[in-house]
Formats: sequence, structure tokens, C-alpha cells
Amino acid sequence: MESPALQALARRCERLLGTEAVISDPVRLRTYDCDGLTTHRATPGLVVLPESAEQIAAIVRACAEAGIPYVARGSGTGLSGGALPRTDGVLIVTSRMRRILEIDIANRRAVVEPGVINLDVSRAARPYGYYFAPDPSSQQICSVGGNVAENSGGAHCLKYGFTAHHVLACEIVTPDGEITELAAGGPGYDLLGVFVGAEGTLGITTKITVRLTRLPETVQTLLAAFGSIEAGGTAVSAIIGAGMVPAAIEMMDALSIEAAEAAVDCGYPPGAGAVLIVELDGPAAEVEHQFGEVERLCREAGAFEIRVAADDAERALIWKGRKSAFAAVGRISPAYLVQDGVIPRTSLPGVLAGIDALSAESGVRVANVFHAGDGNLHPLVLFDDAEHGAAERAEEVSGKILDLCIEHGGSITGEHGVGVDKSRYMPRMFTETDLDTMQMVRCGFDPAGLCNPGKVFPTPRLCGEVPGFRKGVHPLVEQGKAEQF
Amino acid sequence: MAAEGGAKARDALDALTKVCGDVRPGEPEEGVLGVVPGVVAAPATSAEAAEVMRTAAELGLAVVPRGAETRLDWGAPPARCDVLVDTARLDQVVEHAAGDLVVTAEAGLDTGRLAEVLAERGQRLALDAPLPGSTVGGTIATAAAGPLRLLYGTPRDLVIGLTVIRADGRVARSGGKVVKNVAGYDLGRLFSGSYGTLGLIVEATFRLHPIPAAQAYITCDLTDATRAYEAVQAVLHSPAVPSAVEVVSSSQDGLTLGVLLEGVPEGVAARTEQVSALLGAAGTQVRTAQEPPEWWGAYPDGTTLIDVTAPPSALATLLEHRTEGVSLSWSAAGHGYLGLTPEADPAGTLARVREDLGGRHNGAAVVRYTPEAVRNEIDLWGPVPAFSLMRRVKEQFDPENRLSPGRFVGGL
Amino acid sequence: MAGERDERDGAEPRGLPELLGDCVHCGFCLPTCPTYVLWGEEMDSPRGRIHLMEQHQEGAPMSAPMVQHFDQCLGCMACVTACPSGVRYDRLIEATRATVEEEHARPLPERALREAIFRLFPYPNRLRALRGPLRAYQKTGLERLVRRSGILERLSPSLAAMERLAPPLSRSPRLPERVAARGERRATVGMLTGCVQREFFPGVNAATARVLAMEGCDVVIPARQGCCGALSLHSGREEEATAFARRTIVAFEAVDVVVVNAAGCGSAMKDYRDVLAGDPEWAGRAEALSAKTRDLAEYLAELGPRAPRRPLPVTVAYHDACHLAHAQGVRAQPRALLAGIPELTIKEIADPEICCGSAGTYNILQPEAAAELGDRKAANVRATDAELLVAANPGCSMQIATALERRGARLAVAHTAEVLDASLRGLGREALVPRAG
Repeated sequence: MESPALQALARRCERLLGTEAVISDPVRLRTYDCDGLTTHRATPGLVVLPESAEQIAAIVRACAEAGIPYVARGSGTGLSGGALPRTDGVLIVTSRMRRILEIDIANRRAVVEPGVINLDVSRAARPYGYYFAPDPSSQQICSVGGNVAENSGGAHCLKYGFTAHHVLACEIVTPDGEITELAAGGPGYDLLGVFVGAEGTLGITTKITVRLTRLPETVQTLLAAFGSIEAGGTAVSAIIGAGMVPAAIEMMDALSIEAAEAAVDCGYPPGAGAVLIVELDGPAAEVEHQFGEVERLCREAGAFEIRVAADDAERALIWKGRKSAFAAVGRISPAYLVQDGVIPRTSLPGVLAGIDALSAESGVRVANVFHAGDGNLHPLVLFDDAEHGAAERAEEVSGKILDLCIEHGGSITGEHGVGVDKSRYMPRMFTETDLDTMQMVRCGFDPAGLCNPGKVFPTPRLCGEVPGFRKGVHPLVEQGKAEQF
Repeated sequence: MAAEGGAKARDALDALTKVCGDVRPGEPEEGVLGVVPGVVAAPATSAEAAEVMRTAAELGLAVVPRGAETRLDWGAPPARCDVLVDTARLDQVVEHAAGDLVVTAEAGLDTGRLAEVLAERGQRLALDAPLPGSTVGGTIATAAAGPLRLLYGTPRDLVIGLTVIRADGRVARSGGKVVKNVAGYDLGRLFSGSYGTLGLIVEATFRLHPIPAAQAYITCDLTDATRAYEAVQAVLHSPAVPSAVEVVSSSQDGLTLGVLLEGVPEGVAARTEQVSALLGAAGTQVRTAQEPPEWWGAYPDGTTLIDVTAPPSALATLLEHRTEGVSLSWSAAGHGYLGLTPEADPAGTLARVREDLGGRHNGAAVVRYTPEAVRNEIDLWGPVPAFSLMRRVKEQFDPENRLSPGRFVGGL
Repeated sequence: MAGERDERDGAEPRGLPELLGDCVHCGFCLPTCPTYVLWGEEMDSPRGRIHLMEQHQEGAPMSAPMVQHFDQCLGCMACVTACPSGVRYDRLIEATRATVEEEHARPLPERALREAIFRLFPYPNRLRALRGPLRAYQKTGLERLVRRSGILERLSPSLAAMERLAPPLSRSPRLPERVAARGERRATVGMLTGCVQREFFPGVNAATARVLAMEGCDVVIPARQGCCGALSLHSGREEEATAFARRTIVAFEAVDVVVVNAAGCGSAMKDYRDVLAGDPEWAGRAEALSAKTRDLAEYLAELGPRAPRRPLPVTVAYHDACHLAHAQGVRAQPRALLAGIPELTIKEIADPEICCGSAGTYNILQPEAAAELGDRKAANVRATDAELLVAANPGCSMQIATALERRGARLAVAHTAEVLDASLRGLGREALVPRAG
């Protein structure tokens, strides 16, 4: 922490929060140098561990006064570097704000602090027959504040939607250091709607009111093994085409099955070119009827083996391979990149053929895991980090997969977010005007650009003088240092 | 002033005629809450719409969008209306990707027409907003939704991509045509319920749902407010997964409760029994039908419409406000409407509702429409948390304050 | 368990850099880490500690802040259970602790305390001096170092709590070298008596021997056995640990199975294969000992019940000792044994994966964190409304009992062996829980 401004801020934070809540020695600071994406690292200038909205507001005001950037972080499990710190800034960590403030069953909602772990909300609601529906695969550790920033989804968002659909209100600290509430459905603009998923660039959430969902009466899960990905894809189309909305439809290809077997011995049917996991939930009478239909459609599409989970233990066994797939790939490859692209589901065959071709052409192996119901692909690009140039080749293949997704009308990220990792791909998906328009929102919230700067957008937008209407030419434009839109 | 205004309108007419195929002077009966537009322009394509907006920017004209006029009387009158942009000719279904359960439609398309197109493939947009003939764009701009909001939400939850023309005439897109997508800010949600004050919506992409094979409307009449509240809670917490739970009342003592179940025939039959038993426990006769009762999803009668957002438990409080001339409809999602006759003291009722809901339930009450005399003496919007942020966002999107100026909260 | 997450196929024994490289920074370990649960700081999570280890590996000196966070690790291994990538944090922290002892000069009072611990605990004779009325300890022949270190003051509340809360019928004579099987003999097993177990919970050892005998085992209890080295091993005192390990290997070389009733000891003995892997003379013998070591519950479950169980109408809360659940993967077996007792009701304790704070010497070296964790565990135990707390590690029982006393609650504690013993002998509930009033 070289900068005198940061040192002064550190002292101020110590007065505000106490010395126990401020980390400023280099060894400790470095442990915060990345989130779940380790390829981007930056040691924060300062780390603070506030315990209240008022403390966060005071820190943000102090940063605003000193012109110091800041980044909020929850559990640090993001996969796009959305919580990558600034070496010249403050990392505001919400891991000590983890109280569940209220479980209000009559109104089917809970009020939680941002550091509360996703799964803990469901655990607290379960005795009443409720749960928090968004279930990112990191749900046992990711924070609700992080879910809000990333608009997290999960395997079951096909039916239940994303965090945005389950957040009713957020108390936030604005980049001005004000504490204010954004609520869905109230008068005025739906600022909550744009705040959720803004990757922490519009402010820091300090209290979240989430919707709780009734636990389904029944859950039925099956595993179907197919000779090929194409056959599995046909089954998915048939299920959706039959007018069903399963809770989840997940697919794994042969390479990812191999990895999962190596890691957790999940015992999937041998010889499968693809496995499909289909889960239906809801009222018993509905599920029972539709489940038979799903089984039939899988067989028609060529499933050579179907296993139906008889109880929770068997269901866990079916999910075990899928849930371990990412970590498991480490067993068949020294290193790998996890990609997160989305395509219209009907484009699946074309895109997979494209990925195959890319893989063959480059000699880079790609394992595929997808949320097949909503076309969210997680290609795992394998490489050996000890081999010279391998990482770059993998990165290139990974980028080309995103191009394929965009060509097919898809998206560069379905759930991991843009963060720092994908901001450079944003111009492939959006025009300059599109990005400029999004950044108008940012300029409204954070004209000084201190709140998680450098994320989402490849280039920052000049916000002009705010508040008040802009008159005349901005000085930076006049000096030729910036272009005004 | 008048002469100056006339000259401005003529200039506007001339300039807009060059870029748009359907431009004419505004007629007195086309007034937006009495504010007569100088010019009405009806672009046929997004490109034409962009030219209209660019021209308006060049000339500094205030622009108000118009769909099918079903909710044009909602909100406050615009401070100015130089150009009324009529979206009637932007009425195409751009793409219905049935296999992907996604549709892209132009803003001026009638939602009823859209429903017909989707139904051909067994699909629907799960928005049953009242008022037939509403357009896609108007439905989004007013965040309109009906009873299905309980299970499917409102436009903010179903719009997955949006194309708008900005104040400066540039075309901007956000989202896309895939359901799962977190790339960039979600302007679809920001524009939902923005009343044309941030830009002109020209095209939207929605996620769709299959039309259920079977449906059942289960209704019963109740007199006791407490019992009605308890019955709603019982259904809400049951595992029956209703698509809608509605309570309506058009008089002081009568209450009707309705539950919509959707699914496969076998499932709906079983769940109907479950729900009927829950409602029957309230000691009342339960009716079941495949078609909706005639009151289903309609705004309550009256010359004043108050839109209420509050947690589900606020129903009990709201039911206390049933007085002569006040009718009510409530979705168990936590949203309802009060319809007031002129005799029902709209200003006083509004004040009482706000006081009761605001304090105890953190709720809000917004007046959608009301006679001009009432409008002039009340605050349509009530307290607006985070208003300064809203003003700043508005200033970014519309620095010259030309987009539906004054139509929205706090004079935005 | 150990086999499942062991070396990848065909690979050389992997060094620290490779083991560190397994961590993908996913954070799944965080919610199970007691210190992260307490403080919410990255440096006090397994992921953060691995990051610190990497920093050291890259050349950063073993600085005081680093040592602090390594010291604050309880070594409970909950993170090893939680890790989806198979990171061997157990080996990482053991190796790191050894490096700390090599490279870091601790302040004098701390050094004295640590030294005292390792001159006291591994030696049953010295521990014996602490037994009985506790005031006696001041006069006994304990070394000056031990007396002056402050360790006794830190220990005495826990020991006093144990004296009050141990099962009333636990006074037992010293065990013979051999206890004969009742009925037809099914097996011959060795039994480790441990240090703390032997001196403070002789009833547990007696119960263990009786239960084994009643289930048809000849029990061999070598008189010349000493400390297994668990405390030293888990604290980075490598040389001391290997010496204890060799002695223990020798003591049990003659039996086919070694049954251990203290979780920390069993876990250490199962790790001998790693501890002595680099020693050509001992590697094979260590492997053999590790392979035949069984926790009591694990062994009884393998053996299957034979002796008739008599009813014990008592409600128990079963506590997962970290070195049993996380280090040895033994969770189901003790529950199954308890469930096999007629009229006994088992209650689950919330957050079972979180350590109680005892963690070997942790409650002496990090008393504040240990007390906080103890309080959390005590609250969860109380919430079960059980009458008896059952755990398979003496440290856990002491820790939780002390924490409960701080909350003004008294709860009887017992080892799984004592509960089984009471059932097999038909002693009734009074043998375990004091009469009401």
C-alpha cells in the first residue's frame, strides 16, 4: 500500500470500523487477489470487512471523497473476475454480514444480509416448506449479495428463473454513499431490475428481500444414456416440444462423463456418448403423468438405458457426476478453461458440430457439459499448462466457441457474468451504441466511475457533468482526450 | 405563443415527412390527457422510427409514444407533445422461434394478435394483462400484467431482449433472444413501466410458455374478510402451485375468491380437489369451471384506478378499505387495484390507503387514472424511494427532457 | 476415504507445489472452515491458507501474519471432506506446520507453552499427576516448565468439568494386558489406550475392552505402548511424531487389527503410511499398521453385532469428532451402533461438520477462538434437548462440556463405547445420566 491516499483511507476505515475490520498488510491482502477465476489477479490496496450498511456507506463516502475506486466481494466464487480487486482501491468484503434477518412465510419472503450464503436461506426456510429457488452450483458457499450482482442462475433456472426473478427489494449503498431501497413494483423506474445483474457496478447491496418458493410436492429424476450427443439433443427437443417445462435438463458428453467417473465413480451407463439428466418437480399428479412422457420420449430418441431415482439418495447419485463435472475435469487434464456460452436450444447440433470442428482443427480437446433445456453450454477447454503456448491455444479455441454462440444468435455468458474476463467480447455481441446506452445507467448511478470500474464494459463511457443537464462541450472532448456521443 | 407553436409544428411536419411515410398534423381528439400533439408520425419500420427520433432530436421536439391507446390515459399528462409517435404500423411478428420458446415482435403489435400466432404452435406469452387490443410496446411501457403474474411475473420477468430508439435517434439493443443471458445491463427491466420517458420501444423479445393442456377456475363467495384472507393464505402455501389466486369485491359485503390451476388434465383434476377442499373449509360453496368467470382479470370499475403493490399479507388491510363506491381486485402475488367511483372520495381514500400500506406493509399505491379535477389535487405517485437515482438515469437517457416529459414520477 | 482421494494413478509421490496446484480456488471449503465461520476472513479459510502457502512457496518469508493464520487452523479437515477437487489440505497443513517450526522463531512465552504441552500430553505418567482433586497439580512432581507455562490454568476448567460430568460409574482398575473374549472367539484385536483417554477417561478404555470382549474379541493391550504421536504430528513436530509412530508400530506388530477409541489417535495412525513413506526401513511397516488400524465404531460395524443389546431409554446427541468424520470418514457406523440399542433416541446436532474447537491442543493455544466455537457447538447441542452427549474423542467431550457449563447447562457426556457397554451389560440409563433432581 504505497499510495498516501490509500494509507489515509486505511486509517479512516480503522476509525470507522475498528482495526480488526481493516486489512492492510501485503501478505494478507494478497489472499484476496482473485475470486473464483484465478487467471486474473490483482492484490487489493486495502480490504475492509464491514458489518453494517452504515459502515459501507461511510467507506463509500470516504472513497468518493478521495477519488479511490472500490470493489465489493462476497464469498469470492465468481467465475468472470467480477470481484477482481483494484490495486489502487479498496475491496469491500461482505463476508461478515451474514445474518438472516427475517423469514416471513405469510408473505413468502426472507430478508437477508448480503454475505448470507445462498444455501443457508433455503436451509432456514425448509422447516416451513419453502426454499430459495436460484441454485448456482456454488450455492453452498456463494453469497446472496453475489447472486444479486451476477443475477445467478443454476440448473433449475429453466423452470424457476434467475435471481432477478426472486429478489423483491434491495437496500443499497449508492456510489454517493447514500443508503436507499430499490424495490420491484413500486412507483418509478425499475432500478432494481437493472441493478440485479449489473455485476456490482451500480452500488453495493446491503440487505436483500428474496422471494421464497414452496417446496415441490414431488421431485422425480431420471438419467438417460444415449449413444450420441445428437440423440440426447433430439430427446431434449422432444420434451420441450411436448409442452413440458422440466425443473432441469442437463447433458454431459463422453469426455465429461469420463472425467466424472474418474473423480467420483458415479457409475453412469458404460458406453454412453451422452447422458441426460431430467428432473421434474411440482404437484404429484402433474409430475407423475409427465414423467412417464419424458421416459417415453427419451426411449424414442434412442436412450439405451434409463435410470429413475427411487429416493433422495439415488437422486444424489445421479446428480453427483454432473455436479462434480467441472472439478473432475482436473482428473483428465492438467488445466482447463470453463466457458459459459448460450445458444438457442435448437441450434445445439450445429454449434456442437462447430465445436467438434474447432477441436479437431486445433488439436485442443473440449469436454461439454450443458444446461440443455435453456441452451447454456459449458465447454471445458482442456490443455496442459506445462506445455508452451497451450494456454494461448486453449484461450483461442474458447473465444471461437463464443463466436459460434454469437453467430447462432446466442450470448457470451449465461450465468458466469462478463466481469473482466469477457468485457473484450462484449463488442462482438453488442454495438457501440448498445454499450453506450447501457452505460448511461452507470453514469446515472456512478458518474465518477469508482464503483467496480473496469468490469462488464470494454471501455468506460464519459459521464459528463452530473447532476444537471450537460451544456456545451465537455473539457475532455475539447482537449481531444475523449469523444462525446 | 400560439403562432410560434404553429410554426414549430409546421417545421416538424415538414422535417418528419421527409423521413417517415405516415406523418400528419395531430387532431384535437388525439390529445394525451388533453395535450394535443403537433404532429402524429407512424413509422413503418424501426429504421423509420429511428429517423423520426433523430429528426425530433435535431428540432428539439418532445416525443410521446402511442400504442393502441388502452393506457394512454395512465400517468400524468405530458408537459409537451410535439410529436406523437404512433406504433400502429410496427405490427409484425419478427420471429417466432417455437422450438426455443421465444418470440420477437414489433412494439405496435396487438397482444391479442400475438397470442393467436403463438397459439398456432401451442404456445403463449404468459401475460394476461387486462384491456384487449393493447400493444406489445404499451404493455411493456406500463408494466401491465394480469392474474398470471403470480406464477409468471410481469413484463420485466418475460422480456428477454429489447430494442429501443434513444432520444438522439440511435438504435440500442439489450438482452438477446436466448432466455439465459447475463451479458450487459438488462434494459428490458429498466424500460418496463417507464412510460415512454427513456426511449421509444420498437421491438421486444419474450420468453414463452406452452399453453397448458387443461385449466380449472375454482371460485367461491365469502363475506368475511378474515376468512377470505385465510383461504388465500391456505392456497398460497399449499403445494397445488396455482397459476393465479385472485380476490375481487365490488361491494362492501361480497367477496369472491378465484384460483386458476393449469397443467395436464389428470394433474389439474387432482389439484382441483385439493384446492376445493381448502376453500370448502372456509364454509362456502365452491364452483369449478374450465372458463374464467366474467370478472377474471378485469380492472375494478370506477373513474379512478389505484394500483397497489404490497406483500400478500396486506390483503387483510386492504379489505378494510372496502367502502361504498370502492371495488377491489387483488392478486395473491402482492398486487391489486382499487376502482373508485367519483362519490368514493378518491383523494381521501388514496391518502388512507397510502398511510395503511406504507407504514405497516412497506407498500405503495399509485394512481393510474382519475378525473382531471382529482388529478390536480393529488400526488399520483406517492413517495418514491431512490428518486434522485431515477432522475439521474432519466437525465442520462433524455438530457433535454423531450421524451414524454412530465408523464412520470416527480415530473420526469 | 484415504484411498479415494489418494495419489492420482501412476503418478510419483507429489510434492508441495503439485498438491498446492490442485486447488482451483472455488471456495467450497469456506463454509465448513470453523475459523472462516467465526471471522469471515479469507486468510483464515483453507483457500486463503493455501494462498499463503503458495506465497511462501514463491519465496515470501514465513512472516508472523502467515504463522498466525496457520496456527489458527484447527486441522479439523472439514475442508478435505468439502473439496470437490481432492485437495490434500491435511498433508499441506502438516507440511506447513513443520516448516513453521523450522523457519519461524516464536516469542518466548509461546514457545514455553508449546514446549510444555509436548512435554505433558504425550506422557501418561505426567498426565497422571494431574488427576484426582485438581488442586493437587500444584504440588506434584510436574516439571517446572509445565507449571510455569500457564497451561494448567488453561486446562483446569475443562478438566474440572470432565470430573463432574463423566459417567458416574467410570472408576475402573487398570486394564490387564489381555482381556479374553466372552463366548466363542471371533477375532483377536490390539487396543490403543492413548494418553488423555487412559489418564482421564479410564472408564472409556475399560468399556471399550469389555464391549470388544462381549462381542467376541480377545483384546490385547500391550503394556509398552505409548503416545501414538497424534498431537505432535498435527502440530508440525515431525521428528517427535515419527519417533512416537515407530514405537507404536512396534507395539502392535503382533496383532491383525488395532482398535482405537480416540478419533485423533486413529486418524494419526492411519496417516503413518504418509509420515514414514520416505523412510525405506519403516515405510512397509507403517503401511501395514495404517492398513490395520480401525476406529472402534468402524470395527464393530465391520464385525457385526452379536451380543444382545438391552434397552437404554435415553435421548442422545451424537457429535461427529473431526478426526473421525473428516479424517477417517466414519460417520454412519457410530450412529448405526447407537441406533441398534433399543429405546435409545439419537438427535442430530445442527452444523455437524463444524469443529467444536477442541482440536487437539487448539483449545490451549487459541483459547478465544476455541471458546467461541465451543459456545456455538454447545448452543447447537442444547437445541437438540438431548440428555446425553456422545462423542468418540476425549477432547471434544471436554470442550463441549466446558462450553455448556459456561452457559449454565450441565449435560452428561459419554463415549460411544460407554453407551454400548451400558446396553450390553443392562446397566440402565442411570449408568449414563444422573437421576433427575
